[in-house]
Amino acid sequence: MTGTRHGHEPGVGGVGAVVRRHSDPALVTGHATFIDDIESGGTLHLAMVRSPFAHAEIKGVDASAALDLPGVHAVLTGAELVRHAKVQPVGWEHIDNQRAAPTYAMAVGKVRYCGQIVAAVAAESRALAEDAAELVEVDYEPLPVVHSIEDALAPDAPRLVPEWPDNVFGSQTYGNGDADAAFADAEVTVSERLTFGRQFGCPLEPRGAVATWERYTNRIELWINSQSPNRVREVVAEVLGVPVSGVRVRVPGIGGGFGSKANYYGEEILCCLLSRLTGRPVKYIEDRQESFVATSHAREQRIDVAVAATRDGVITALRGHIVGVLGGEISSVGMGPVWLSAVSIPGPYRIPNLELSVTGVLTNRTPYGSYRGWGAPKATFAMERIIERLARELGVDSNEIRRRNFVRPEEMPYSNGVFATLDSGRYEHCLDLCVERLRRDGWYRFREEARAAGRKVGIGVAAFVESTGIGPSRVMARLGIAQGGYDEAVVRMDSTGRVTVFTGQTEMGQGMSTTLAQLCADELNIPVDQITVVMGDTDACPYTGYGTGGSRAAAVGGVAVRQATGELKRQILRVASHQLEVDVADLEIADGLVQVRGLPGYGRTLADVAYAAYRRLTDVGEGTTPTLQGRAVFDPVALTYANGCAGVVVEVDPATGGVTVLGYVMVDDCGTMINPQIVDGQLHGGCAQAIGGALLEDLVYDRNGQLLTTTFMDYLLPTAMEVPPFSTVHVETPAPNTPGGMKGVGEAGTVPGPAAIAAAIDDAVDDPAVFVRHLPVSPEQVYRFCNAAG
Amino acid sequence: MKAAAFRYHRATSLDDALAVMADDDEEVRALAGGQSLVPLMAMRLSRPEVLVDLNGVDALAGVALDGGHLRIGAMTRQRDVERSPLVAEHLPLLRTAIGHIGHVTIRHRGTIGGSVAHADPAAELPAAVVALGAEMVLASTGGTRVVPAEEFFDSYLVTAVEPGELLVEVRFPLGAVPARHGMAEFTRRAGDFAVAGAIVLADVAADLTVRRARVVPMAVDPAPRRSARAEELLVGRALDDGVIREVAAAVAAGCGPVDDIHGSAAYRRDLVAEMTRRALARLRQGAGE
Repeated sequence: MTGTRHGHEPGVGGVGAVVRRHSDPALVTGHATFIDDIESGGTLHLAMVRSPFAHAEIKGVDASAALDLPGVHAVLTGAELVRHAKVQPVGWEHIDNQRAAPTYAMAVGKVRYCGQIVAAVAAESRALAEDAAELVEVDYEPLPVVHSIEDALAPDAPRLVPEWPDNVFGSQTYGNGDADAAFADAEVTVSERLTFGRQFGCPLEPRGAVATWERYTNRIELWINSQSPNRVREVVAEVLGVPVSGVRVRVPGIGGGFGSKANYYGEEILCCLLSRLTGRPVKYIEDRQESFVATSHAREQRIDVAVAATRDGVITALRGHIVGVLGGEISSVGMGPVWLSAVSIPGPYRIPNLELSVTGVLTNRTPYGSYRGWGAPKATFAMERIIERLARELGVDSNEIRRRNFVRPEEMPYSNGVFATLDSGRYEHCLDLCVERLRRDGWYRFREEARAAGRKVGIGVAAFVESTGIGPSRVMARLGIAQGGYDEAVVRMDSTGRVTVFTGQTEMGQGMSTTLAQLCADELNIPVDQITVVMGDTDACPYTGYGTGGSRAAAVGGVAVRQATGELKRQILRVASHQLEVDVADLEIADGLVQVRGLPGYGRTLADVAYAAYRRLTDVGEGTTPTLQGRAVFDPVALTYANGCAGVVVEVDPATGGVTVLGYVMVDDCGTMINPQIVDGQLHGGCAQAIGGALLEDLVYDRNGQLLTTTFMDYLLPTAMEVPPFSTVHVETPAPNTPGGMKGVGEAGTVPGPAAIAAAIDDAVDDPAVFVRHLPVSPEQVYRFCNAAG
Repeated sequence: MKAAAFRYHRATSLDDALAVMADDDEEVRALAGGQSLVPLMAMRLSRPEVLVDLNGVDALAGVALDGGHLRIGAMTRQRDVERSPLVAEHLPLLRTAIGHIGHVTIRHRGTIGGSVAHADPAAELPAAVVALGAEMVLASTGGTRVVPAEEFFDSYLVTAVEPGELLVEVRFPLGAVPARHGMAEFTRRAGDFAVAGAIVLADVAADLTVRRARVVPMAVDPAPRRSARAEELLVGRALDDGVIREVAAAVAAGCGPVDDIHGSAAYRRDLVAEMTRRALARLRQGAGE
């Protein structure tokens, strides 16, 4: 532990301290518990029969041969499921004309994407369940496949939902000012059509669930590696028609989530139902191949973006039209991420006239859901690309365009009239720091020297904001989101003076248990190692409206912990006040004591105060309730905006099209940093995913709706070898509406990198005809850029 | 991803393994390092009825100098080959080639025989054994036969190994092929299979005249094979940039790549030319001194 800066003594490990993560010893020694480690006696294992067709009617399912196999207990089909389960709810119903596309936990009557569950087989072992799954005979009548946006929007397109007039799930336009007039009067306009490929969170630990439907109590105990245990609990209750209190959701260690485990899925419903039907615990572990077709996809969009500007580079209007390539069924977040992309395009810029639209189309692909960054990476890609285009048109440096259009700190809070109210940040300062760090790290000089030697080295910069700390519950409710955005926290001191934090947040490798302990330590001024954080049990832990996602765990969950700790502290001081016969206002907690201010050492130990509060009530005032526990619910009043700037250095090999990322500067303003090392780690991981998203990761479908990338030989994640050392720079502009000033850092790393890498490749190729319009950009595409004449 | 049911036999000797493999009624597969076979079985793309595990047959592992040959047992781990002083001295290309296989962890488990017998045309070892003129020693209960590498690889994942046969040794004739080597490959990430690559061997005189040459492109044909046209263009000429360009173009013109998600056939053709050029440039470095 290093120094702190909030007035408490060194060694506490409070806000601002580098504290080693509590979760690491178990993780690095291989002793952490993950979902596949959960198994009680008599557990049955599920294997799924998944559709080999992208679009087909299910004419019949014959499971008799499977059921004949010794050790097979049940085979569930969609026809049977609908007798026991309601449709899967869609949490986000925020588009005015959003249609309903009833989605069940498995296919009912029709499959709409390859890999959709057609039958679930419960057997004594997973291998046996897979053997039996092969014996389930499904009679499919293939239907025409909707492969792409163009397919989906064609007038004569086959329709995924026959009752609809087309394949549009929802469409909405948002505006401010008069974009038409601004474009008509503009001195300069530029426009681009951009596309972003299909990618997904791809945690190293796939999804899994173990359900036990207790026969006599009629309660469901569900272990699941979900980022959102409370949401899962409510969904299971709703779908299966049991009270919420009849479902206990428990979360073991999570081997990465990246948003894909914030969505809820059909598999957990099937585990619960099959447990009820078989009377056994039922376990499902998604295998690697399944994960590519069964875990929510994300990112894929077509973006038409245009700006109008003066010759001086002042942007007067922005148009952005986004079409999201949804899948064959609707995920739990509807078209939320696509919508967020559209309304977030203006980013950190002051643009008076806006016309932004979003459309979600169904295609025969895996459903589209959450992935770290949500809408922001595509919005940033769109805005930063069009700024580069404008810079070329005007012949000025793109950073100069950025500077002329940034919302300035003195203009905040700044509402862009569509969605964002930029609350705080020093955007130009972040850009300055990024350029300065690139220069200090020697990258500009390196580029000049490399170019002189005939090498193609480029530098690209992208500025960003991202809405974080989701979110104000009443705003969310008005948007049509069926979850609150608040967090509850409970903090207890036991009778020995040790403190336990109970939270609805989850630990998935991001160090959240350590971060929350630091906030508690900071408030109580006690060493962080005296604090235990309990999470992942809906029977024991408080409620969280939204779970761990949306860069909210610290900015919302952390505030709740801090406030609950404040309440606990008041109780501690009240007891000590009675013991010491000193006014509460004259007491402080320091050095493990509740002591009189100005009289160090004169006081009672925390252990003594705690003992009294639980076990020696003669020491406690008559009007004081025994026990020491604080509870708080924090509901933010507004979203906050993390922001910053990325600067990426690449080298392009013109003879192969290979792109090597040489340097990567990430300037980030996440508000107050709780643990700078964890902040760095979050940024590093996000930046690695940005590299994957820009250069490697691509879920490729063929015309028949078959996913071609279902192994790690084809879906390429960046490895340590593709990731350069990161150079992080921190700016701390406290969030004005968040007590403590945190904005959130979970997603930031993913946001500006793709746009910066695109700009860096343009810069490296250095040809006016070359402009990166699609990510991920393949070596072959880069090769074509470099060898256009050939 | 659980393999279909199979019978597992842990062989205690080569004869024991061959006896099981001789069973005509069942589909038998030999398990070496398992780096390709095990995932294929987990995905149920390979469904042997009997799996003969060779990992207990110590006699199949080892590197030995034997007269005019360097003999490498089929079960020798790639990492052991890579670190063998005998290989470093006599077959430096093999060492270079293995350095491109996956990552060290994979090479600790993967074997030379497993990779050769799997016959992935994008893999390094099949191309290397063709370049080095190696001989594949195949054993069965009926005896032993030797197949030259150039006749061993038929097509994608298809070899001359007959049912009941086992690749037991890869034998490298010493001095039979040129001494200098160059290799280049392009991969999407470090350690991936090549999108395209090239291996060249040549003897080069002091004036850079090429005496002998062997050229093997990678990942652009259903099976690794020498480019006869490229070799003809090299022999008897000085290894200058113009010749290198000519040879690279000949390799590209003579291969038959196909489209896949990592690159089109046309791109692969361009890439294999570039890899050939780089391999020859590497070979030339320090030559003629």
